[in-house]
Amino acid sequence: MAFGGPIVADAIALVPAGVIALVTVLLAWVSSLIIGRLLSRTNPRMAGAGRRLTVVVVVLIGGTLALQAIGVNPAVLLVVIGLLGATILIALREPLGNYGAKYFSDIYTPFKVGDTIRVQGYAGKVIEINAMTTVLLTDDDLLVSVPNSSMLRDVVVNTSPQAWKEVIVPVTLAASIDLPAFESELLKSLTKLRTRLDRRFPPVLTTKSRSAQSADLALTLMLRRPEDRDAMTAEANKRIAEVLDHVRGVRR
Amino acid sequence: MTPSSICINTQTPLVQFLDSAADGAAAGARDGVDLATLREGVDYRFSPGGVTRMVYPLVRRLLDQGVLSEVHWVALNPRAPPLARIGGITLHNVRLDADRLAGYGEVKEALWSRIHDLEPDRPHDDLFWSEAFSEYAFYNRRTAELIRQLDVAHDFDAFYVHDFQQLPVGRMLETLKPKVFRWHIPFDLELIPPQWRSVLAGYLDSYDAVVVSAARYAESLAMIAPTRKVIRLYPYVDPAEYSQPGPEAVEAAVARFGVTPEDEVALLVGRMDPVKGQDLAISALSTIASEYPHLRLVLVGNGSFSGSGSGLGLSKSAVWRTHLEEMVRSLGLEGRVVFTGHVSQADLDCLYERARFTLLPSVREGFGLVAVESWLHGKPTIVTDRAGIAELVRDRENALLFDPSEPGSLAKQMRRLMDDGDGELAARLVRHGRSTSRKCSLEAAERAERAMLEELMEV
Repeated sequence: MAFGGPIVADAIALVPAGVIALVTVLLAWVSSLIIGRLLSRTNPRMAGAGRRLTVVVVVLIGGTLALQAIGVNPAVLLVVIGLLGATILIALREPLGNYGAKYFSDIYTPFKVGDTIRVQGYAGKVIEINAMTTVLLTDDDLLVSVPNSSMLRDVVVNTSPQAWKEVIVPVTLAASIDLPAFESELLKSLTKLRTRLDRRFPPVLTTKSRSAQSADLALTLMLRRPEDRDAMTAEANKRIAEVLDHVRGVRR
Repeated sequence: MTPSSICINTQTPLVQFLDSAADGAAAGARDGVDLATLREGVDYRFSPGGVTRMVYPLVRRLLDQGVLSEVHWVALNPRAPPLARIGGITLHNVRLDADRLAGYGEVKEALWSRIHDLEPDRPHDDLFWSEAFSEYAFYNRRTAELIRQLDVAHDFDAFYVHDFQQLPVGRMLETLKPKVFRWHIPFDLELIPPQWRSVLAGYLDSYDAVVVSAARYAESLAMIAPTRKVIRLYPYVDPAEYSQPGPEAVEAAVARFGVTPEDEVALLVGRMDPVKGQDLAISALSTIASEYPHLRLVLVGNGSFSGSGSGLGLSKSAVWRTHLEEMVRSLGLEGRVVFTGHVSQADLDCLYERARFTLLPSVREGFGLVAVESWLHGKPTIVTDRAGIAELVRDRENALLFDPSEPGSLAKQMRRLMDDGDGELAARLVRHGRSTSRKCSLEAAERAERAMLEELMEV
């Protein structure tokens, strides 16, 4: 019987695409978990970025395969996506560059709000680091706005006392985790590293911001020797992950 | 001035719940226990010391005058319901389990010991790297988190944090609103280990103002945290609280402690703690005991909140009292030294009234309000030069000063008062002392504290 024949046929033709889409979502979720676990001992921002990148790549591949399954030429699709991406990048080159620089400078640039720095011939106290610029207050009470991209491109000198000693490790704490218990366990764990840290400055955990879901914290460690910087960052991240695993059972 | 809401934070709670009330109150206290429904002395008691004698009367007065509209008071109180109310004050009690309490107690005792120079052979240089410090941090963070949550609900105008046990709270409390810290104990730069200075500076810098009890503490503190506003405000008492009981009431009260009519009483009021120097007083008594056979030393006080059963249960005070009792026996002073333990305010008034003179022999003392109490009771006092109040004392004018490190120094001053046959010296010390005590009155404090808060809040 011809009743509904073409519709059913069309629906059947969509099944493979649907299956691919479902598998893609599943794969994206699983790979995100695996990458998150693999990167859990690194900087939390890097772990987050790794997870997001994995999801985007898996979805792009899966989406292309799904579209191919319903007859769309993937080459055309890729060209369209490429052209669109290039247009966006060209149009938003400056702000995106600054935003990206801010993103990475949070991890790699050795200064923070409150430090005194020199960059591009300007010197002043860092009073704000926003998505686009870093704002300096000079000795003459002038505000100088330096694009974040300059912070990665140009030479930045941090003239704050003891600046070389300071290692700041960002920590994101889910709201379900008890902050006092986490801090207490972390401080206990970090006492093991005391021979590599300046005895005058014990580790300090400060709260940067909070939301209903999480709190952004910063762990500040003061090194005894500058060459320990990378190793200390890695060790601190490892210990943070261990402590997080330990205190996850302690709910509010 | 618009009435302000304020959050106070102390380690010692205003009230301690006694056995009969602690569990029942905790069980049925969702909206808070109203202390008006409980019995003082049976269900709860006010904590002895500065919290009750100083902070509470000031807060009450500022509430009565409409300077404050709302007061929340956060304190460590392991054996109390989470919430209680007294007058216009809401009390929030922080509870810690026994393990964490032990670690916290270890660190705070070490801080206390080092700052009072009690154990020169145990400098505690690495205190902030000890595992116990993580429990001290836990308690402070728990407190700061509670205050932050209260601030979300009540939007306080300012925060007033009291004493060294709570020092990290300011840095843990992320707020742009004014934060005041009152440092009640001594702050002598030469006693602060170099390894501690950056840590203390970091904590002190998190406050908008730091209040100390003596000018020399302010100087020391300014050298460690030069960017902070440091204010010297004398501790205070309410003169209206001091009564003069009649002779019959006095003799009846002191008889209960074994004091006879012919006794000459040297009175020392202070909790059982090595820092209070009861051992110096006993030594001094042994030096002059044979010269003055009717002189008796009366030691009033027991443990602080930390040492009491309804508080933190640390055993320091019991150990110290045992040591003092052994000292009395070894010096053959049985019957010449009386340990009264904690006494009621009425009994304390009687003991002051009965005293010939009072002693403040502390090896270190943040201030020494008992000297002011002595003046208000009309009794001459002998004061250690290591107390904050020493900067208000002019030797032989309003009190007698002595150096606790100089052997025989205290005995010499006690002898001076015992030999004051016509009472001329005692009368002069009391007359000038009463005048000095006005600098440490609730009224003076109210003016100073109010001015400080108004300046910080820019009202």
